[in-house]
Amino acid sequence: MKQASASAQTGIIAPTSRPAWGGGQALVQLGRFLVPIAALLLIWEVAVRGGWIAANIFPAPSMVFARASELIFSTGPDRGMLLTHIAASLYRAIVAFGLSVLIAIPLGFLLGLLPRVYKWLSPILSLMLPLPAVAWTPILLVAFGQGDRTIITVCFLGAFFPVLYSTIQGVRSVSRQSIWVIQSMGGTRRHVLLNVLLPGSLPALISGLKLGMAHSWRTLVAAEMLAALSAGLGYMIFAARSYMDVSTMFVGIALLALIGMAIEYGIFGVLEQNTIRKWHGSSRIGGAA
Amino acid sequence: MSAISLPKDGAVDTFDRFIVPLISIGLPLVLWEMLARSGAINNFLFPAPSEIFGTLWAKTGTDIDAGVMYSHVYYSMFRLLAGLGLATVLGTLIGILIGLTKWGRFIFKPLLSLFMPVPTLAWTPILLLLMGVDNKTTIFIVFIAASFEVILNVIAGIENMNVKVFWVARSMGASRLQIFFKVIIPGILPYLITGVKLGSGYAWRALIAAEMLAASSYGLGFMIYEASEFMDMTTIYGGLITIALLGYIIENVLMGALEKRTVAKWGVQVER
Repeated sequence: MKQASASAQTGIIAPTSRPAWGGGQALVQLGRFLVPIAALLLIWEVAVRGGWIAANIFPAPSMVFARASELIFSTGPDRGMLLTHIAASLYRAIVAFGLSVLIAIPLGFLLGLLPRVYKWLSPILSLMLPLPAVAWTPILLVAFGQGDRTIITVCFLGAFFPVLYSTIQGVRSVSRQSIWVIQSMGGTRRHVLLNVLLPGSLPALISGLKLGMAHSWRTLVAAEMLAALSAGLGYMIFAARSYMDVSTMFVGIALLALIGMAIEYGIFGVLEQNTIRKWHGSSRIGGAA
Repeated sequence: MSAISLPKDGAVDTFDRFIVPLISIGLPLVLWEMLARSGAINNFLFPAPSEIFGTLWAKTGTDIDAGVMYSHVYYSMFRLLAGLGLATVLGTLIGILIGLTKWGRFIFKPLLSLFMPVPTLAWTPILLLLMGVDNKTTIFIVFIAASFEVILNVIAGIENMNVKVFWVARSMGASRLQIFFKVIIPGILPYLITGVKLGSGYAWRALIAAEMLAASSYGLGFMIYEASEFMDMTTIYGGLITIALLGYIIENVLMGALEKRTVAKWGVQVER
């Protein structure tokens, strides 16, 4: 197990030996992430062209790119279709996520602050939590029919419980003492909420938001496959099945992954950096929060 | 002092554990039943709980549906366990290769970062083309959904192992196979179980959706989707209740027991 000891040693040494040149380091990290993926795509391309992989099931990356540009730029009926699909999916996921945040965060604060109410509601919550949001689709299909309302409601349910649960956990993790301190110094309810509860629960809150958006996005695919009428990336993938149009499927899969990653790292990563890091730093100076 | 307060604690415990859930879940059901019977809510969209449980009961009986419920539950559980088993075995192997070997990291790391961000169910249409409707596709979806958590947790477990343990085993003349089964597996087991537990949650969600899209005869997801085509609301609600209960049992009872045993044996709890 020579490798094990080697990896453990580099794991210890690496952080100190790495030169600290800010932006450049991020670039190296990005390169480390992208170069193996590019290599993998290249191998895939070569394997398809060499005939080792069936192109009618795993089309070469170049074919997928060609199909994507066709779906955007071609002058046929497909013109701009891809953008329509992306817009429809983003709209549904964001509306669902926004609604779930608007309802789940106030409710989470209430349940977190009222332990008695929480005690009586938690059995229902713990039964609803492992219930897949997609399982609601049949009821919604009967009630609303196919279309945006069904899809948005399913994604809303997918995002709601993670956000609610994280908010409750975050609020409950704030120590009573820090609330008492503020109150004994004459702080009002507003002070307690804005200066103690919010910063104290923020790490959990943000990870809940991140999880909620991820759930909303992942649920969306299934919901769109089951209930979309004409647009959406999930619909695009599932409709392409009827024509055995594998390239379009992979365009959809790649876009779902890319957009999901962009949301997770681009939006929530930055949010985490600018809030938790900041607050955590200040609380560390003042001792344990 | 403690002898006096102990029975009281026990009483509070049984109250919290049994009476509270009973009322918390029972009261809304009773309310729902009353509203449905009085006609205050739409009986088609919200059939009374008694009707829902009646439908469920009929599906386990010997009537026309002749125990069809058992088949639905059996198929769903079979797919879940098959996919989960596959994910546990392959995920552990891949995780160990990534954690311990350079070539493993070289091959599997880019694959992981390429495939992990893809929503699991997006693979369904391609798997349908590749494997056709039914068990293979649904099991494979479960496998994909569960395996990433297993792999990531196994890697974390290996990173947290002490290198000296390897040295000790090596210096005592242990073979590679012995190191694998006597050092690596016990060392990562708490992490592996956390991974399987988290993975089972994702897998259950993915399975229900996959069954709606890709099953043709049995499975709880198939049951509720088929029922929606006949607008059979009581069956849908019955399926939902079954799915919720089974999900709760898998997550808390099954995986909880597994976790408790490892915590008792190893004395570690992996927080993730």
